Amino acid sequence: MDEMITLAHGNGGRRMRALIEEIFAPALGRPDTQADAAAIALPEGEIMVTTDGFTVQPARFPGGNIGALSVHGVVNDLAVSGATPLYLTLAALIEEGTSVALLRELVASLGEAAHEAGVRVVAGDTKVLPRGQGGGVYFTLTGIGVRTPGCPPGLSAIRPGDRLLVSGPVGDHGIAVMLAREDFGLRGDVRSDAACVLPLTRALLPLRGLRFMRDPTRGGLATVAHEIALATGLGIELEEANIPVRESTQAVCAILGYDPLYLACEGRVVAVLAPEEADAALTAWQALPGGAEAAIIGCIGATPGPVVLRTPIGGSRVLPELEEDALPRIC
Amino acid sequence: MKEDFTAAKGWLERIGELPIAHPVAVMNVCGGHERSLTQLGLRGVLPPNVKLISGPGCPVCVCPEEDLADAIALALTGDVTLVAFGDMLRVPINAAKGEVRSLAEARAKGADIRPISAPQEAVALAASNPARPVVFFAAGFETTTAPVAAMLAQGVPENLSVLLAARLTWPAVDMLLASGDAALDALIAPGHVAAVMGASEWGFIPERYHLPVAVAGFSANSLLAALYSVLRQKLAGKPFLDNCYAELVAPEGNLRAQALLAEVMEVTDANWRGIGVVPRSGFALRGEWKRFDARARFEFSALPRRRAGEMPPGCDCAAVVLGKKQPDQCRLYGTACTPQNPVGPCMVSDEGACHIWWQGGTRAAA
Repeated sequence: MDEMITLAHGNGGRRMRALIEEIFAPALGRPDTQADAAAIALPEGEIMVTTDGFTVQPARFPGGNIGALSVHGVVNDLAVSGATPLYLTLAALIEEGTSVALLRELVASLGEAAHEAGVRVVAGDTKVLPRGQGGGVYFTLTGIGVRTPGCPPGLSAIRPGDRLLVSGPVGDHGIAVMLAREDFGLRGDVRSDAACVLPLTRALLPLRGLRFMRDPTRGGLATVAHEIALATGLGIELEEANIPVRESTQAVCAILGYDPLYLACEGRVVAVLAPEEADAALTAWQALPGGAEAAIIGCIGATPGPVVLRTPIGGSRVLPELEEDALPRIC
Repeated sequence: MKEDFTAAKGWLERIGELPIAHPVAVMNVCGGHERSLTQLGLRGVLPPNVKLISGPGCPVCVCPEEDLADAIALALTGDVTLVAFGDMLRVPINAAKGEVRSLAEARAKGADIRPISAPQEAVALAASNPARPVVFFAAGFETTTAPVAAMLAQGVPENLSVLLAARLTWPAVDMLLASGDAALDALIAPGHVAAVMGASEWGFIPERYHLPVAVAGFSANSLLAALYSVLRQKLAGKPFLDNCYAELVAPEGNLRAQALLAEVMEVTDANWRGIGVVPRSGFALRGEWKRFDARARFEFSALPRRRAGEMPPGCDCAAVVLGKKQPDQCRLYGTACTPQNPVGPCMVSDEGACHIWWQGGTRAAA
């Protein structure tokens, strides 16, 4: 195999076959690379489909890389929908000049994440983009899963007084990627929370009071709160003191002027539950490896209103919808 | 671990127990304080007679419009790489419609402009591109100016120069109080500026104006301790300079930083956007460092610009900076002026009161 990806790796010929056979197929459990389409078997239930593109820069960051991240992203969207993820398809857009070693590492990581989540990559495509027309490596994945119909029931089932839970500290992924970009000359020990949330979502599915789950990715926790408020027409109150934020993440946010409530997570779940089952959900999460720092962080209001953050000194402020990209603070 | 709010709640209780019979207006000079107290929702939990008023401590907000226009014009020549603290990039100038109105727009037109967060990044960039002139547009208060002085004192590549728009904080407060129309009863002095320049720099407030003052940090605990202090002073009628940020702020400040500032720069009269010239409130490079002054190295267009130096029509940023208006009393707030489409600098910076209020969820007054 060559050291660099060239346009010839996308030409349909020998080099492209080598790329697929030597890098992709072994890492992905050797799917049938000859067929034009894959046949899949699905168990009984409601079939759920999701798709997502991944363009994170840089491709490697503390706590993960674009390969594992893209599996987690798609698997997590199925998981919070109550589905058991089963199959993935993968489209890889690779920029000419990308190092083969890097690509190998990313695809291996993608394969491992898929294996750990119990999903199989059954179909795929690779394209090579001329230098300057892509940003290294992009992955687009489609995920297929199956769930018990109506479980969880969704946004329309949310009622006044329902509780909001988050499965762990927020904002780590956003800060980890920002630090990895080295735009700010800052160093920190913040690692991305990127992970498969399937164990967390499975733990809540048996609870009859479970209304809704979502993974707070772009826009963070505050944005999920806004999505809930918009869909239900009800106000939301969040307790700042109860929202888990790592000290290291908080410190970088303080320097750069970011609010961790608006920063992306890639391994957290926000859940809405009937008040009488909030404690049971919390206990279930806290017993799991990714849920030790889970917390009940707020509640759905009785009337229409904004998303309000109750501050630890008894004050409150409205959490506005995310509107702009934050900029580093001046002093 | 989260900040412990036990002490802060204690101060809040003690403030609540003070017999404040008449409205007391307290100016928090620093934009960082405004940010902290807005984020804490402090105004909503204080006794109704305690009014918190944000002050002039936003370097982006007071950076002269003509300096910004010069930086934009220089970057647009294409002959230099311009670096600036990120906050400066979106600040609009009074250019005619269709012309470039901000560094961000200049960048979109192809000018080589890069946001930085520390002077070392400017040095590193200049060192790695020795053939390319790099201009550091350095707007800021003492807290950011001292590192600029340190950068120059340590030696910088010859291709680096500085377009300085640095300001001293206290002279603007002095001018505001001397004007007699400030209607303030007490002040909270900026913690980071005091850490550099010394708490004692703020002693003029009780001495000359007989008003209470306390230096505060940025935690709820420090801010509320300072607020309690100035309210107590006011009630007792015995104003003095208190320091509620003693863990970081010494009476004499950081002497090394001050020595560097004095070595590299001299204090000059300086223009503040929308406010005018404040005596002895700016810095200029001195001595051997004059040759790193971008103004000495590059031609700046002397073409007269329409409305140069003024605030945009309808914009109350100057009144907001001076504490004479609250952000939502500006008729542009949330209507013509939003963070996506800022008219004035106060809606751009993380330390601008309008931007902080917007981020804190305050929308246009009904």
